[in-house]
Amino acid sequence: MAAVISAVHGQEPSKPGPMQSQGFDVNKLFAGSCGWCHSKGGREAGKGPMLMGTELTDAQIISRIRTGKPGQMPAFQFTDEQLRAIVDYIRALKPA
Amino acid sequence: MNVRSRLVAISGAVLLAFGAQAAAADVDYQRLLKADKEPDNWMTYHGSYNSWHYSALKDINTTNVKQLKVAWSHVASRSTRGLQSYPLAVDGVLYYSGSYNQVWALDGATGEVRWQYKQKLNDDLVAKQTHSPYNRGIAIGYGNVYMGTLDGKLVAIDMSTGKLKWETKLVNSEKLTVGFTGAPLLVKDKVIIGAQGGEWPDRGPIFGVDARTGKQVWRFYTVGGEEGNGDARNTWGGDSWKTGGGGGWMPGGYDAETNSVWWGTANPAPLYDWSGPDYKTSGARPGDNLYTTSVILLDPDTGKLKGYHQELPHDAWDFDSATGEFIILKRGGKKYVVHPSKSGFVWVYDDQGKVQNVWRLVQNINFVKDITPKGELVGRRDMTAGKHTNLCPFIAGGMSWNMGSYNPQTGLMYKVGNEWCMDLEIEKTTPVLEPMAQLNIGANFNITHPQGGKAHGHVSGRDPITGAKKWEVKFDEPPLASLLSTGGNLLFVPDARGWLRAYDARDGKELWKHNNGQGHNGGIISYRAGGKQYVAVMTGWGGLAGDDYGTFFGGTFAQMPKDSGVIKVFALP
Repeated sequence: MAAVISAVHGQEPSKPGPMQSQGFDVNKLFAGSCGWCHSKGGREAGKGPMLMGTELTDAQIISRIRTGKPGQMPAFQFTDEQLRAIVDYIRALKPA
Repeated sequence: MNVRSRLVAISGAVLLAFGAQAAAADVDYQRLLKADKEPDNWMTYHGSYNSWHYSALKDINTTNVKQLKVAWSHVASRSTRGLQSYPLAVDGVLYYSGSYNQVWALDGATGEVRWQYKQKLNDDLVAKQTHSPYNRGIAIGYGNVYMGTLDGKLVAIDMSTGKLKWETKLVNSEKLTVGFTGAPLLVKDKVIIGAQGGEWPDRGPIFGVDARTGKQVWRFYTVGGEEGNGDARNTWGGDSWKTGGGGGWMPGGYDAETNSVWWGTANPAPLYDWSGPDYKTSGARPGDNLYTTSVILLDPDTGKLKGYHQELPHDAWDFDSATGEFIILKRGGKKYVVHPSKSGFVWVYDDQGKVQNVWRLVQNINFVKDITPKGELVGRRDMTAGKHTNLCPFIAGGMSWNMGSYNPQTGLMYKVGNEWCMDLEIEKTTPVLEPMAQLNIGANFNITHPQGGKAHGHVSGRDPITGAKKWEVKFDEPPLASLLSTGGNLLFVPDARGWLRAYDARDGKELWKHNNGQGHNGGIISYRAGGKQYVAVMTGWGGLAGDDYGTFFGGTFAQMPKDSGVIKVFALP
């Protein structure tokens, strides 16, 4: 996937704009923000649950990333495109 | 960053609902300077500016500790991620902070609640934070309880009434996501507090605030220093200093003889670099990255940098110097400052910050081959993008932020060591150009057992200058709470499973234990109230360093709550 730096334009004062996340290579995005808790790139349970083979629906995954879980996972402000890419990444996970 | 001070009028009503203590002298700088002459009280995070985490009280001692029982307890509401703070005890009243910036004042003898303070927080901001919503502790002085908040403020709470006196916005947390979790330190007329930062792309400031008015007096950026005062932006390639991480998220120590505040700084961002051995010229943040993963000496009045030693130049492993107490002690007529670090090594300095010795507390270390007694790193393991196995210690550190203790009677330093490692895959990440609300880690990883052994922990009694081991006790899982040693020759160790044990500090013989029902992640002190000695310990699990215990160690950790906090106080019958 080609690295593209997504520019942050005109943020609304009341709602921060999309995050510039590692040029939108989802592997880099994951290593930047997710791999800390979702061990082995999401293939193993660690601080957070294993993502590989998750039974959560796409909508549930997206909701969880957007709202977090108090005391366990922060809420992230990814764009719709980034969230879609993360879901695809999770669905494609295979044992290393 | 915007700084706004707001003076809030002191409420006229005084809420001492359960009877007033006899009026005692204010806690002020003079009283804090002589804190070790007041063993009845624990008036500052480390016990005293010497940071010994030692109580001289000896009513409870090796001959009678087996009779120790719970005297009272208090349940801390909304204890998301447990109870990670240090209580303070002043003139018979116990004060402590909990998650979501709550603070309680309790009668030290009975546990009855005098007041509770609640901070108004933006739930959306807190939801975005990783190192949250816990609080590591408070400072007391000039009639106030001081606390750093999740949304980047320093607040002063009236210690008699629990009413807010003033709050000063120091960090634009809404933009940067980080705020404060660490305890402040009161030195002279300044409240000093360091922000989080290492995982977040900003510059990790430490602040000095006027203790009476709340006005910000000074700031020191741990990433790159300040213009005209230790300006070290040239140790960061390109613009990487703008989003360098850093921070100083634990309270430091203070040497009155040199008027120096000692503070440990946090790691640079991204945590894992892909430069390989050419870290000075290539990678995500080329250069030594001053003043991250360093020990800095600041003037408390001006915040000016007086000296420093960078314990890990170009820290490529997230081994903050922000963890670790600064034990100030004298031996043979010479003063030493002993600083255990997350790396697993212990640095010994003179009072000017010159390295006198470095010794290792844990066995499983291979991020370097060694560090010489002069502080030089030998055989650095600088990694490139791709997979790496068996990096030791694990990201949670050979030692974590829980405090050790120095006992002047035994002459020993007591500290928890962690033996664990990790496998990782480093990604060559795109430079983060502006501070923004996202993490900056740089790798996928997982915890592993050390090769040829099992991950475990230990508590040892060591010579603080040479590291010579006097005794050691092993734990199946590393304890993640602080230690307390006393004039009664006791060492108290609260472990991860929930057991609080008392050992003979001289030889490590176990003398007493009690199961508190949940793991320990916070502080432990001793004090007197009504003429009786108490030992108060935080119970409640859920800190980040323990997040892997459920899957990695299993057992009781799989069922242990991470939203429960109870302060338990023990006494002799």
